[in-house]
Amino acid sequence: MGQRKRVAAVSRLSHQRVSGAPSDAVRVSNRKHNICMVSDFFYPNMGGVESHIYQLSQCLIEKGHKVVIVTHSYGTRKGVRYLTNGLKVYYLPLQVMYNQSTATTCFHSLPLLRCVFVRECITVVHAHSSFSAMAHDALFHAKTMGLNTVFTDHSLFGFADISSVLTNKLLTVSLCDTNHIVCVSYTSKENTVLRATLNPEIVSVIPNAVDPTDFTPDPSKRHDDNRITIVVISRLVYRKGIDLLGGIIPELCLKHPDLHFLIGGEGPKRIVLEEVREKYQLHDRVRLLGALEHKDVRDVLVQGHIFLNTSLTEAFCMAIVEGASCGLQVVSTRVGGIPEVLPEDLITLCDPTVRSLCAGLESVIALQRSGSVPSPASIHARVQNLYTWRNVAERTEKVYDRVVGEEVLPLDRRLRRLRSHCGPVAGSIFAFVAVIDFLFLLLLQWLAPDRVMDTAVDACGPHGLWRPETSNDEPDSKHAGKRRPLKTT
Amino acid sequence: MEDEAYSDIYGKALALDCQSHSSICREFTVSSPKVSIGKVMVYTCCVWLLAYVVFFFTENTAVLSSAILITLAGMMLHIHFVKVDHESLLVIGSLGIQVSSSYASGRETTSFIEMTKIKDIVINEAIYMNQIIYYLCVLLKDPTEPNAVSNVVPLFQSSKPRLNCLVKVYKSCQEILSKC
Repeated sequence: MGQRKRVAAVSRLSHQRVSGAPSDAVRVSNRKHNICMVSDFFYPNMGGVESHIYQLSQCLIEKGHKVVIVTHSYGTRKGVRYLTNGLKVYYLPLQVMYNQSTATTCFHSLPLLRCVFVRECITVVHAHSSFSAMAHDALFHAKTMGLNTVFTDHSLFGFADISSVLTNKLLTVSLCDTNHIVCVSYTSKENTVLRATLNPEIVSVIPNAVDPTDFTPDPSKRHDDNRITIVVISRLVYRKGIDLLGGIIPELCLKHPDLHFLIGGEGPKRIVLEEVREKYQLHDRVRLLGALEHKDVRDVLVQGHIFLNTSLTEAFCMAIVEGASCGLQVVSTRVGGIPEVLPEDLITLCDPTVRSLCAGLESVIALQRSGSVPSPASIHARVQNLYTWRNVAERTEKVYDRVVGEEVLPLDRRLRRLRSHCGPVAGSIFAFVAVIDFLFLLLLQWLAPDRVMDTAVDACGPHGLWRPETSNDEPDSKHAGKRRPLKTT
Repeated sequence: MEDEAYSDIYGKALALDCQSHSSICREFTVSSPKVSIGKVMVYTCCVWLLAYVVFFFTENTAVLSSAILITLAGMMLHIHFVKVDHESLLVIGSLGIQVSSSYASGRETTSFIEMTKIKDIVINEAIYMNQIIYYLCVLLKDPTEPNAVSNVVPLFQSSKPRLNCLVKVYKSCQEILSKC
């Protein structure tokens, strides 16, 4: 009985905190948040989501927020690690099932995630990528614990095949009581709203960004002027339209003897390009570079005149921004969120057919020959301020400001929302799971109450100990680099 | 600071005893509570009840006698190998660190680390079972590379005190380590 009373007191406390938040949020608009980013995808894995999380976290730390990242362990990389500026990463030992995504049982990750949320005093849980089971788990547990939640969707989905039907249902359940959703483009917003049957008012659009200092033009790296190089950098998979590329290469190479292709990336469709190269004897004009590391991408991009993107579906497409930032003419298919990304005069949009893409490329080649294209430096100057991480962080900060003022649904209303929003069958199943999750949380709170968990020492954030100015005037610097931040307490 | 209450990561009370033998020699002892008679009773009753249920169906008296043996052996093994009464850390500047733990049965294990092998003492974080805890550990130097850490020796492994206790021990240790 005593325990139950204590739990009730704890939950009442948390409700007070939540209901007391709105007035605070209005009074101090630039309040600092404790943010926990959760995703299955983080370094050492490479990709768009990973760099998005890292760059966004760094900019939020710069703004004075506290950020921790939670992901699953990669090989021997387990436990707690620190990255630049005291960004703390928890590599939790959870079993990986498929494609670097953890298994979801809805429960087994609760003890560790609760521990992270409690000891880091998290106020906002920000999950990334709809492919990540851990992100959905974290959203689920955060709502059970009464924390505010934000979700960022990085990809577009179909509606027709069985896997998308199932994923969409899971997304509906996961997002129906999430406070706010962020999409990377308006097309992606439309897609997500339809898939998860959301209220569009709680969906914001915040695009991705590129680091313009990484992608600077360098025309001297181009080969002598009488040849034109087309660069393609993408994974060689069906979604990226590599079959279209296989149709374009022979047609254009036949017409323009001074045309060269430079193709970076690896994937199952590489065989298509190799066949084309073999069949038309284009070994000297089509170079396949294989998988590229992120740091090498720029060196490949600056060798070309034209950047070609043949994607069949794309939520945002960072690649064309990177291409334009290196001063290349961009030719792309008109699919997904691509038309929103660049101003019209910097990109040539075509339908996703071989004929249309060839026509688009030929017009750009003609412009290139006549020398009437803008200089790489001027293109870079226009693109460099379009998408910056600081801007992304500012807009995400506004989302957080809004979210902490909102109420987290208590269990009874959450169950009603699940039942009314997700259909009678799935709604009831997940309402049941939510109840079990809540009971499990009560059990954990009884076994290990919040007060016996040590609050973590902050490296970043408002009370962070890793400020550059404090580390300089530290008196004994014998081991200062190696020593824990506790030193300064 | 003196009468600060310490506890382990499960919330059970711990006692920390700091003795300053001289300016470069300090001893820290963390004592856990003794085995409670209630806990022993609960475990014994569980095993015996289970044995009685099995006996009720099989009507084999060997089950009952083996249950008695199991509880006795279990208790002895527990106090001899598992239950640690106190763990102590003796830091002597310029000489080294002695770590010893004494078990409930009276058995003691002691190990000594020379100062030349020690790189530093730090507080670190680790994932332990289903929680994330702080622990104190000694970093050992790699004999081939002077700046690398070859091994990590965790301290107070069985008592697992919480952060406030670790910080106190850490600060005193650093005072001594910084002198030599």
